[in-house]
Amino acid sequence: MSDKMILGVPSKGRLMEQTAEAFAAAGLTLRKTGNERGYRGEVVGYPDIDVAFISASEIAWYLKTGRVHVGVTGEDLVSEQMSDAASRVTFLKKLGFGRADVVVAVPDCWIDVRTMAELAEIALPFRRAHGRWYRVATKYLNITRRFFAAKGLTDYRIVESLGATEGTPAAGTAELIVDITTTGTTLAANGLRVLDDGVVLRSEANLISSNAADWSPANREIMAEITARMTAAR
Amino acid sequence: MPAETAKHFEALEANAQTLLSVFTRAGYEAVSPAIIQPAGVFLDVVGETLRARTYVFTDPDGDELCMRPDLTVPTCRLHIERHSPANVTAKYSYNGPAFRFQPQGSDLAHTREFRQTGIEAFGEANRERAEVEIVATIVAGIEAAGLSSYTLRFGDLGLLRAILRAAEMPSHWRQRLMHLFWHPAAFKAELRRLTLEPGSAYAQIPKALREALDPNDPAAAEAAVANYLERNGIEAVGLRSTAEIAENLLGRVEDARSEPLSEKTAQLIASYLAIVSPARASARRIRELATLMGVNIESAVGAHEWRLELLARAGIDLERAEFSAEFGRALEYYTGFVFEVINPGLGRKSPVAGGGRYDHLLKAVGAEQDVPAVGAAVHTDRLLAAVNNGNGGSANV
Repeated sequence: MSDKMILGVPSKGRLMEQTAEAFAAAGLTLRKTGNERGYRGEVVGYPDIDVAFISASEIAWYLKTGRVHVGVTGEDLVSEQMSDAASRVTFLKKLGFGRADVVVAVPDCWIDVRTMAELAEIALPFRRAHGRWYRVATKYLNITRRFFAAKGLTDYRIVESLGATEGTPAAGTAELIVDITTTGTTLAANGLRVLDDGVVLRSEANLISSNAADWSPANREIMAEITARMTAAR
Repeated sequence: MPAETAKHFEALEANAQTLLSVFTRAGYEAVSPAIIQPAGVFLDVVGETLRARTYVFTDPDGDELCMRPDLTVPTCRLHIERHSPANVTAKYSYNGPAFRFQPQGSDLAHTREFRQTGIEAFGEANRERAEVEIVATIVAGIEAAGLSSYTLRFGDLGLLRAILRAAEMPSHWRQRLMHLFWHPAAFKAELRRLTLEPGSAYAQIPKALREALDPNDPAAAEAAVANYLERNGIEAVGLRSTAEIAENLLGRVEDARSEPLSEKTAQLIASYLAIVSPARASARRIRELATLMGVNIESAVGAHEWRLELLARAGIDLERAEFSAEFGRALEYYTGFVFEVINPGLGRKSPVAGGGRYDHLLKAVGAEQDVPAVGAAVHTDRLLAAVNNGNGGSANV
């Protein structure tokens, strides 16, 4: 591997466009090198930066293991993949896009359940009626476990769900969900409601550096300069 | 340190064989349950918290499996496979690896692969005798393996259950408090709520609905809930029925109509949970509290006292033993007596052995009915570490 500073950038969709816009606002141009469909790139004017286009969840993983020095990804993904994020990565700058909340949502018809405490209260009656703990559908296994444990709630089962999580209560494959929401319309359309104290995480895209990466003094300088330019831009 | 060297493996194996020979001589048949187990059984029994520490994986058939996080549940499954109905007496011993992810990283006393050597006794109706036999057999085993410096710690959920049963309160409060025993912070909060404002949740029920809820008429309450949902355009989603929702709301109506839990009772429950005492003095301490509360829990205290007497007769040195009312809050499957063996060098966070009564576990993993069950396991890596460390300190409580 080169001695260059490696910058991980989302490889597709809105997140990729908004990342490029955020860099552009700081006068930095992200550009793919070689094939338009390729996954390597550069920051114009910074020959010592290698840009790697990778999926947002992989960026979190690469930051954790130190395979990229700096990356752009969501706090939700970082928090899911690291129980000790504060020691493994450094949040350099909130980027103001990719905003989404990770929330606990129950069927709106559960008019007796408005808080996490009330959710805990129905664990035992639910088990008595159905012979098992209620199921929580989510892709955020670790975030869910940590949040529920902090609220003193341990009697539930997680069902891993990689898509259409909001539909699982209606489909009968889970009783409630922990999922990401931006406006709440999808939740409402599926007959779900966020608990009063059910906001687990307010997430947005961040510029993040890895504590595990191999940092040369030159790369540290580049990181500091990029961070300063991004900060000055807003 | 799980057997990183052949030499260490041999030392562990020798240690385990000493234990096993004591166990089998005491009539505990040696069994070897499978290392790979269906994950669902464990997760249902021990809950989602242990999943974070269990190595769970999906096999090519799509089945969710796990590396066993302990040997008790696998031994229960083995018993059920052998016996139907499962309510027959049987005594088993085992020796083998168990696996748990250690979030703080592996250290000497907390390895991700560790060895459990233990015993389980099923179907024995004489409760105290079965419990004492387990403690005595474990103690005989660890002493044979060379551990002389240890203390014992006892607890008994039966005592708390007796106190809650005898205290004046609606039965669903009792159930809730018993369930919350395993969640100390929530237990404390609930006790406070029941004392100060048991009806607080009632006020949150929409007024139109509140008036239609009569604890004497559950069918009308269910209709009122269905009606309320329809009028407000709320779709019924999921498996939890309107009857269940109505039942929960009726509980709140009852809460609001009940006298709050008396300050005195709440305080005495809290004082009971705070008891930590030399084992010999514990029965007297508990009786004093019962007298203050004005409740009769003599059958539970008597059982506790009888167990101590049997332990002394079995040669257990009670001067080494402490009773802690709180003890047992960590693992939800215990239902009564619990105990731990602690080596002063390794400390309280790393007990050398531990176990207790778990009367609901066999049914939870598939038996037709509850089967009395009591068992215990030695953490063999720790036992070896304590013995190699010259027993690591004095054994006074």
